[in-house]
Amino acid sequence: MKFVKYGSLGIISIVVLAGLGIPLSPSPQGWLEFPIIPGLEDKARNLFFHVPMAWTSVLAFLVSTYFGFRYLRTKEIDYDLKSVSAAGLGLLFCILATVTGALWARFNWGSFWNWDPRQTSIFILLLIYGAYFALRSAIESEEKRASLSAVYSIIGGLTAPFFIFVMPRMMAGLHPGAKGDPSGKGPLFEAKMLAPNMRVLFYLSLIGFTLLFIWMLQMRIRTARLDYESSLEQS
Amino acid sequence: MEEFLSVNQMYIVLGIVLLIWIGLASYLLRLDKKLQELEKRINKGGHS
Repeated sequence: MKFVKYGSLGIISIVVLAGLGIPLSPSPQGWLEFPIIPGLEDKARNLFFHVPMAWTSVLAFLVSTYFGFRYLRTKEIDYDLKSVSAAGLGLLFCILATVTGALWARFNWGSFWNWDPRQTSIFILLLIYGAYFALRSAIESEEKRASLSAVYSIIGGLTAPFFIFVMPRMMAGLHPGAKGDPSGKGPLFEAKMLAPNMRVLFYLSLIGFTLLFIWMLQMRIRTARLDYESSLEQS
Repeated sequence: MEEFLSVNQMYIVLGIVLLIWIGLASYLLRLDKKLQELEKRINKGGHS
């Protein structure tokens, strides 16, 4: 637990410091210079912050699916609390991926929203998980709510990796890694797309935000448990 | 503004980092508010 807390704080601090601080150079020498990527220049630094949001979002939705599955197997309400906590965080990171992406798109592609395959798929994901919370708030009975949202989170979690990892790679689009992109399948899978120091910082950022997610999830679950227990005492 | 940002692209990166921070902070503020309400509820329950 301590490792998660201080690890996330430390790693994200390093990522912010190095991601913003390391200078660009036309002919990078050693680890303390980033190469200039034509068309991106300083905007390439967004990679360390925008992509981990989408990654954490999918991870959170999968965690929600896992706990939804566990709930259906055991019918223990604690798994429902865990599942809804993870889905809430997934939605938060999904929104962050969308707004940071829109800002980046404004300066790279000309407008905030272009209906690029990835923008479309994350929009659908936002709708799916927006509906998840609408569904939860519409059901009074606790057991029914838990079962229905567990089933929903399993269906939602199955579609999330498809929307983020598969569909955008099957269609031509503006994002790196789209179909027909000569540089390959995007920074997550293609090592040659990035200089080694950028790649290390990129993966470090993924780890840092994953740890932050675990920490936030634990806090959210503890709050949900308190909420549930105090509502039991009152009734 | 447009020209300034196309020359000084670091401000775009700054904007993106700031957006993430605002998002995380607003989540924390909401969690904090929820915990305060819970504390109030639990303390009331304990005294009565």
